[in-house]
Amino acid sequence: MRKDGKKLKDDDLKPIEKEVVVNGSEVPSDSEDGSVESPVVSDDDESFSEGDDSSRNSDSESESGSEHSDFSEDEDGENPSNEGGLSDGVDDLNQGDQSASDDSREVVDESDSSEDEVGPRNTIGDVPLEWYKEEEHIGYDVAGKKIKKKERLDKLDSFLARTDDSNSWRKITDEIEDEEVELTKEETKLIRRLLKGQAPHADFDPHAPYIDWFAWDGAKHPLSNAPEPKRRFIPSKWESKKVVRYIRAIRKGLITFDKPKEEPRFYNLWGDESSSTEKAGHGLSYIPAPKPKLPGHEESYNPSLEYIPTQEEISAYQLMFEEDRPKFIPKRFTSLRSVPAYEKSVRESFDRCLDLYLCPRARKKRINIDPESLKPKLPSRKDLKPYPTTCYLEYKGHKGPVKSLSTDPSGQYIASGSLDGTVRIWEVETGRCIKIWELGEPVHHVAWNPLPELPILAVSMGQDVFILNTGIEKEEHKMIADLLHVETSTAQDDSESMASAVSWSQCERYEGIRIKHFKTVSSVEWHRKGDYFSTVMPADILGCFSIFTLTCFLRESKAVLIHLLSKKLTQRLPFKLHGLPVSSTFHPTRSIFFVSTKKNVRVYDLVKKKFIKKLEAGVREISSISIHPGGDNVIVGSKDGKLCWFDMDLSSKPYKILKSHPKDITNVAFHRTYPLFASCSDDCTAYVFHGMVYSDLNQNPLIVPLEILHGHASANGRGVLDCKFHPRQPWLFTAGADSIIKLFCH
Amino acid sequence: MPKHYRPAGKKKEGNAARYITRSQAVKYLQVSLSVFRRLCIFKGVFPRDPKKKVKGNHHTYYHMKDILFLKHEPLLEKFREMRAYEKKVKKAVSKKNKDLAERLLTRKPTYTLDMLIRERYPKFIDSLRDLDDCLTMVHLFAALPAIERENIQAERIHNCRGLSLEWQAYISRTHKLRKVFISVKGIYYQADVEGQKVTWLTPHALQQVMPQDVDYKIMLTFLEFYETLLGFVNLRLYHSINLKYPPILDPRLKALAADLYALTRYVDAKDQTKGANIEESELRLAQLQHQLPANEPGALMNLVENAADENDEDEETKACKTLFKDMTFFLSREVPRESLLFVITAFGGVVSWEGDGAPFEESNQSINYQIVDRPTQSHRVLPPHLSPFVDNEAEGYVPEYAETIKRLQAAARKEILPMPGAEQDDLENAQNLLVEGIIDRTKAKEAAERKRKMSILQEQYHQELKMEVEGTQYTSLPTTEIKKKIAEDTDDNALQQFAEDDDNMSKVAMSRKKRRLYEAMKISQARKKASVDTLETRKKNIKKSKKTTSE
Repeated sequence: MRKDGKKLKDDDLKPIEKEVVVNGSEVPSDSEDGSVESPVVSDDDESFSEGDDSSRNSDSESESGSEHSDFSEDEDGENPSNEGGLSDGVDDLNQGDQSASDDSREVVDESDSSEDEVGPRNTIGDVPLEWYKEEEHIGYDVAGKKIKKKERLDKLDSFLARTDDSNSWRKITDEIEDEEVELTKEETKLIRRLLKGQAPHADFDPHAPYIDWFAWDGAKHPLSNAPEPKRRFIPSKWESKKVVRYIRAIRKGLITFDKPKEEPRFYNLWGDESSSTEKAGHGLSYIPAPKPKLPGHEESYNPSLEYIPTQEEISAYQLMFEEDRPKFIPKRFTSLRSVPAYEKSVRESFDRCLDLYLCPRARKKRINIDPESLKPKLPSRKDLKPYPTTCYLEYKGHKGPVKSLSTDPSGQYIASGSLDGTVRIWEVETGRCIKIWELGEPVHHVAWNPLPELPILAVSMGQDVFILNTGIEKEEHKMIADLLHVETSTAQDDSESMASAVSWSQCERYEGIRIKHFKTVSSVEWHRKGDYFSTVMPADILGCFSIFTLTCFLRESKAVLIHLLSKKLTQRLPFKLHGLPVSSTFHPTRSIFFVSTKKNVRVYDLVKKKFIKKLEAGVREISSISIHPGGDNVIVGSKDGKLCWFDMDLSSKPYKILKSHPKDITNVAFHRTYPLFASCSDDCTAYVFHGMVYSDLNQNPLIVPLEILHGHASANGRGVLDCKFHPRQPWLFTAGADSIIKLFCH
Repeated sequence: MPKHYRPAGKKKEGNAARYITRSQAVKYLQVSLSVFRRLCIFKGVFPRDPKKKVKGNHHTYYHMKDILFLKHEPLLEKFREMRAYEKKVKKAVSKKNKDLAERLLTRKPTYTLDMLIRERYPKFIDSLRDLDDCLTMVHLFAALPAIERENIQAERIHNCRGLSLEWQAYISRTHKLRKVFISVKGIYYQADVEGQKVTWLTPHALQQVMPQDVDYKIMLTFLEFYETLLGFVNLRLYHSINLKYPPILDPRLKALAADLYALTRYVDAKDQTKGANIEESELRLAQLQHQLPANEPGALMNLVENAADENDEDEETKACKTLFKDMTFFLSREVPRESLLFVITAFGGVVSWEGDGAPFEESNQSINYQIVDRPTQSHRVLPPHLSPFVDNEAEGYVPEYAETIKRLQAAARKEILPMPGAEQDDLENAQNLLVEGIIDRTKAKEAAERKRKMSILQEQYHQELKMEVEGTQYTSLPTTEIKKKIAEDTDDNALQQFAEDDDNMSKVAMSRKKRRLYEAMKISQARKKASVDTLETRKKNIKKSKKTTSE
């Protein structure tokens, strides 16, 4: 078809050329051009198509020629009646239908350009086509001859043709012209634009900048002086109505929106790793949850036989507490298909969930070391010999728990006081009991006078303190007797109110002095010179309050008394105690006095009458105190089994706390010459320590536990009640609640 | 008033300012407890342990920074929005405003957890580190029934199943599986993904027990997070082996509940067509791929083999891949199909099963092994199944069969592979050897113990002798008899006493902190020893009873 068209065009052109020649003189007038062009703008698409055709062809032509072709085509429809008719008739005879129409068009093209009408090229006139629907022809030409309809392809052929031809969609049949027209690309574009309601020409700019031709500058008055109408300030009623209408339509589902495009649920969240270097979290350290425990052999469906508990063990589990009971009881299945569903799987998963969001998390350092490596490196005990290790002797004879021990300064004898009311003196080396006093009341404390030439013994028993003559040293018997003689009136002379409570009296029965106190005396301690001694009356509080209605101050200060044996004098401690006293001691070299209350140890200077320092043990209840022979170190035993070593020069806090005993420490003792100290406790053991104090102040004392001495049996929950070192040898005496005294030697 | 002024008694510093209790936090955030819980679960916020518990011991403490972190979470606003929405719906329904209710129901506010996952796991490796719980939970829910009452919906169960199978398909395709352990609780798997050990538990494929006293809401909240996480992880992993992520599966296989097989098929198929860029629909491909090798099992083997040319595999993966190389398995009906399908393919074997959709029939000639599940086979009992997760040496007790396994492994490494016929004998030999070894060892131990005791006694005796000598030097007393008596008495207890004393004395010299630590360590050691001892006594008893029955 295209070819046809082309040929047709070519045919068209020749006559035009001719015409140009004919009208050559008239053509180049501008006015005529204008008149011709105006219909182009206003014309329908057909005219455009023609124009396009021509422009396509124009490349082979001269400019003027193209102009003319344009020109001629524009007016082609207008003049079917002029000349075409004549030539048409001639052609019609010669050629078929096709050529006839072609010819007619030729004629039309050739028609004069004076008339502007545009009409169909075939000359049927303005007649409805349905009139000839049934006919062979579609109309008549000027000569009254029938113009035959073109041969149409039947449907099948046309379909085939269409499928063969890829350009078939471009083709349309022109009913009036009775021909098929193939649209060019430009034409289709143009149609599309029209369908969209845009301007047909692509180069037409609908939004060209507005050129305001009105000259506003010179205007003195506004164009309109009318006030702004109200409608400019209120929302449009019609608009709102329209909105309402839309809303209703949407609600009723009349208007549906496009569903939002579904995005893929998962995407590459992490991107490339390099970009995700931003800091995680919010400044707090993230503690990852610990991973669940991995299963052991016992969780297998078919574990080794030894993992399966016996029936007795399983029934024993039932007797256990809920918390102790094993969570999982291994079971054995012979085949996998016999394994049932685990009934706790959901439960355990749930528990894990709870753990994950409810359990507080904390980082714990888990050290994986051998526990033995925690033990401190101690110097070899062999190098620290000698020290008491084994029991050599037992001193048997007491009927009750032996409460107190004391060694003779020479180390030949020991005195012991028991709760059975006796005080005995033993020969150390033989274990022979030399002397017995039956005092009748439980003895709390015995103390040898530290002077070797004065073999006298202080014994506290109930509310009394007895000063007894041991009678060991025969020669000085006279002097001792003098010392132990009391004139009855001396005690009463004392003007102090304090002393009135204490009475010195002669005790004929035991050949000694009896000092009666107002309260139970728990301990007696000698001064190093053997003249003074102190007694402590711990609070027998319940009794005290009822009998003497003393103030707190009085009670406390009266609890510790210092007696002067040579003058038979008693004086109270001129200090406030701040607590209940437990025991007291004198400094081994200086005139310093230690009083331990339940919480701390108070140190006084007796000469200057000054409070020196308070040692804070930080233990629950102090039970005993002992001073190093050097005088600068103090050990304190407590009822929670702790032993505190104080270095007085260093601090008022303990240099070291040794938690040695599981039960109360009953007594602590320093050795007078060897670097040894010991503690004994109600757990029936005594510990022996090496406690070396260096003269160099920069060097801390060396404390090494040396030996645990066993042997005593427990009686009434009490174990070892007292321990004392031998004054010369590294031996330790222990007094037990089982009424035995033991000697431990190296 | 100066800015820094703080009224007396209102002091907020230190732990009081840094930590708040849960109820305080709930009040502070102005949310309900359940919303707070959800937020905590999603954000991974957990309580912390302050050094000083200001409000008392029986409170849960959150760090203030954590709470502020929650406060600025956009999800919080979303939850509030949802609450408002629910109120609206409720109101509309109760006012019988059906239109409004319906309209509201179409516009339910939704939220995604994507950014939370990104936030909690800034790197992919982080998410792998935290994947254990996720996988266990998803696998568990894949096995649970849908319960309307507890709001466990069928879609979620299906989703879980899909996700778990996708994960398994990836693991088996890349041969990352390392350890498997069949326990009473289920089957434990351990895989090594990008250097991270990921362990998960799948329950046995049976009807699960659903306890009543479990708050399924909490579990579902966790599950919601885990589903999202696993989805993203799966996508990432699939992309790493050049696969499209939501895999499209052959519906026929899916209908036959052979999802995993379908998935592996998909994975392998994609691998095949990687080079040729055929523009076919995924579904069609899956179907085609299924039809192809179903006729000839050799093709399937090829598929598996072809997958084996990747250079960036470590030694272990290579070993795992070739473990079941050129072996064809057939699963009997009673065998748990899914887990074995997963395991065998993960170690490079070819597997089929009895039932529909199986790649080849039982009659196929290439089958090397048939897997059955029976208690005995011709009077041979199964050996015990031991956990691969236990370090026997550290535990202090080595089960008998573990030694056998070790021996077999050693033998395999030397490549003196036992003949198939002689295998059983060999195994028994190994056991015998093992028993001997154990006896030897115990004997040696006992001997050593005796020796030690002897030496100590000797030492003690020497010491005592020495002391005696010295004692007589100092005190020429007839105490030697007493002493001897004592020595005899203490002879039995002496050793124990000696050790105890030694222990006590070293404890005395320790600082309190160290002492506590030491004691705690001792307790744990004793506990461990007790458990080992019970095992040993049980074993002895079993042996004894065996002997008596045999005699």
